[in-house]
Order: sequence, then C-alpha cells, then structure tokens
Amino acid sequence: MKNKRGALDISFAWLFAIIVGGFILFLAVYAAIKLIGTEQTVQDAKTGKEIGVLLNPLETSFESGKTSLLTMPVETRIYNKCNNQGTFGRQIIQVSQKSFSKWTETNINVGFSNKYLFSEGYAEGKKFYLFSKPFEFPFKVADLIYVTSSEDKYCFIDAPEEIFGELEDLKQENIFLANCSTGVKICFSGGSGCKVNVNYNAKYVEKNGERIYFEGDSLMYAAIFSDKEIYECQLKRLMQRIEQLTLLYRDKANFVSRVGCDSNLNSDLMQLNTLAKNLKGSEEIYNLKNVAEDIEYKNDLAKCRIW
Amino acid sequence: MKHGQVKIQQMAFMLIAVTLFLALVLIFILVIKFSGLKEGARELEERNAMLLVSRLANSPEFSCEESFGKNKINCIDADKLMMLKENAGKYEDFWGVPNIEVRKIFPKIESEKICTLNSYPDCNIIRLLSKNVGGFDASNFVILCRKDTYEGEPYDKCEIAKIMVSYS
Repeated sequence: MKNKRGALDISFAWLFAIIVGGFILFLAVYAAIKLIGTEQTVQDAKTGKEIGVLLNPLETSFESGKTSLLTMPVETRIYNKCNNQGTFGRQIIQVSQKSFSKWTETNINVGFSNKYLFSEGYAEGKKFYLFSKPFEFPFKVADLIYVTSSEDKYCFIDAPEEIFGELEDLKQENIFLANCSTGVKICFSGGSGCKVNVNYNAKYVEKNGERIYFEGDSLMYAAIFSDKEIYECQLKRLMQRIEQLTLLYRDKANFVSRVGCDSNLNSDLMQLNTLAKNLKGSEEIYNLKNVAEDIEYKNDLAKCRIW
Repeated sequence: MKHGQVKIQQMAFMLIAVTLFLALVLIFILVIKFSGLKEGARELEERNAMLLVSRLANSPEFSCEESFGKNKINCIDADKLMMLKENAGKYEDFWGVPNIEVRKIFPKIESEKICTLNSYPDCNIIRLLSKNVGGFDASNFVILCRKDTYEGEPYDKCEIAKIMVSYS
C-alpha cells in the first residue's frame, strides 16, 4: 500500500497550472468575443454614417427626380426611424449586417436633420435603390428619398401618364409598369390582388387597411413606399422645415423691400407657418394646399419673386 | 524552501508574465484599432464635406430658386443667406458640419470683410456657421445673387463666389 494515489495522479503544480491557464484562456476568448462584437457595432455605425453621406448627391436642382444604386458588401438591413424632437426632428438610420448567418444586433443610431427617407420599417438586401424627388409646397422644402431593396419588386398598374413617364425614365430595375406575377401591386384604378391602392384624384393611398393622404407626386411616392408611421412622422418633419422656411422667406421679403422689392407675402407666409405648426396628420394636409397655392400665385405676380 | 514550492513559485511568476504579456498585446491591438477608427471617422467627414459642398447650393436655404430668373444651378441667394445667418443658431447641427461660409471672389475686394447687416452688400465673406475649427475645408464655385437698386429700381446682381464647408 505504498503508492495508493489512484488514477488521477496530478501534482499540485499541474492542478495550479491548469486552473490558472484555463482562466487566462477564458479571459482571452472573452476579450476576443467582446472585440468582435465591438467591431461589428463599429461597422454597423460606420455603414449607417456612410449611407447618410452617400445621400448627399441625391439633392436635386432642377431635375424632377433621380435614382442611384447602393451596393453593400454583405446582406444588410437598413432600419428607417424618425423623430420630431427639436427644430427639424431627426432622420435615424440603423444598420444591421449578416455575420456568420446571424444579423448583428444594432442599437447605434446615426442621425441626420436634413434627410428624409421613406421606406418600410427596414429594407433588406445587398443592393438598394435610392430614388429622390423634390417636395415643393409651394417653394422647395426638401428632397424626399425613397429606399427600396432590389429584392422587392413594385408593379405600378394603370398609373397616370405623368407617373408612368417619370418611372419609365428612372429605369429603376425593381419598378415595373405593367401587371406582374410577383411583387407589390400598386393599383391606380382598383383591381384584384392590389396591396396598395392609389386614389390619384382624391389624393390618398390605401395600404394595410389604412389611408394615407398626400399632396403632390413626391408625397404620393412617399406614401406608396413607406409605412404609415414613418410617413406621418416624416410629414411632420417636413412641416417643421416649412415652418422655418416660411420665417426665412418672410425675413427675406422684409430685407429686400429696402431696395424696392415688395411682395406682400408676409401674412400668407405666416398663415402657412401656423398651419404647418399645427398639422396633426396627413388628413389635414389639404387645408395647407389652398394656402400654398395662394402664396405661389402671389409670388409669381410679385415685383420681385421671393423664391 | 522545498523543490516543489520553488517550482510552484516559478510557475506563478511565469503565469503572471504570460497574463501581462497578453494584456499588453490586447492594449496594442486596441490602440491600433482605435487609431484606425479615428482615421476612418476623419475620412468620412472629409467625404461628407466634399459631397455636401457640391450640392449645398441647391438646398432650399441657399438656393436662388427662381428669384433671379429660371434654371440657375449652383446659385446662392445672398439676401436669403444673410437672413439665414441671423437665425443660424437653429441650423447649428442641421448640415452636420461646424462651419459654412461663402466667399465672393469676383469682382475682387482687396481686404477680407465679413458681412453683417450693416456692412452688407459691401463685404465679401458671409460666414453662416462659425464654430472655430482649425481643420480642413472643401469648396465649390457658385453664383452669388442679390437684389440691388439702380435709380430707385431693383435689379438682379450676380457675382462669382466660393462656398466652403469645414471639417475637423
């Protein structure tokens, strides 16, 4: 019975080395996992910012609209969020990318005050189409950007001539101008299987059983391509910008009157300002339309045009 | 001290050394990573400034629209810009850049004169946002138009200018 230590004949030195070594390895693996997670978060934030930067060239001058293609190296989800806080509200972009067959968790918000994106809650894919169109009410307020994934097809059925022509000129590969078997059907004169119904004369879009009101083609596209929640939020942001632009044009009208330029637009501009400030939802946009048309008419006839 | 105890002590020192080494390697990696991150952020800012400056003149707060006739691209309305400057506080974070200014370059004025409501239009620099930055800038040529008067009648006066966007 001289040597009865059994099968686990491990000295204290070995036991110590195994425990401490294991601990060191655990720390190393933990640090590596954390580092990869941080790297993914950084990548998501960087991509979000890059997307925002690449939206700058979509600012239009005299074009009625333009489109560009955004290609990502990996499968990406672009989340579109919006808030109305502050003077102009914020456009928030969140990006999640596929890594080892899983979507990265994202809570990094990249925000912009001067961008207005319209899309579903998120657009997913590797290729995205960015179509922009100016929103004028009656002066140019902003360029609206419609984000769609190349994987989502849109079929515009019985579109009015000007819409048909514009979409045809865009040559955006995920937009079709005839009936198609797959994809989202957007019908302008009813029909079966229509996911989106547009009443171009009464100026509303019906989707998911909800009605979204618009004025002008740029807001019509916005209503077609985006969720109601995003549309309403962005519409309020556009009204916030109108509020500031009316003040700016009022100030300008007063400023140029020193050189004999009278426009008599002040009271109308302030009326538009108040209406824009108090807009609750898209169903009220019709009230602003008449004032905007009056202002446009007066500006056209003014001695010096203010815009 | 027994031979076994010496061995354990040696191993403990060795393990501490290995841990320290790994910690140093980790710190080294983090330093490289974060310096790359800073560089990446600067590149993004540079690209943002370059793309922004090429389109800024067409944004509603700057653009001439049809005040000075139709179809003027890259045209800035100086009167509107002066009013915007008066309310610049609201627009501080609007374009995401710390400084925007428009410099008149032709016809040339010998000395630099910043525009205020008192000095306008006999000045050559409209500084819209002016957070003090000693960084870089991106610029683009534009037309700078304003309403002026001759014998009591208003007319359009357009000059050549440069719009500059700073980034740190």
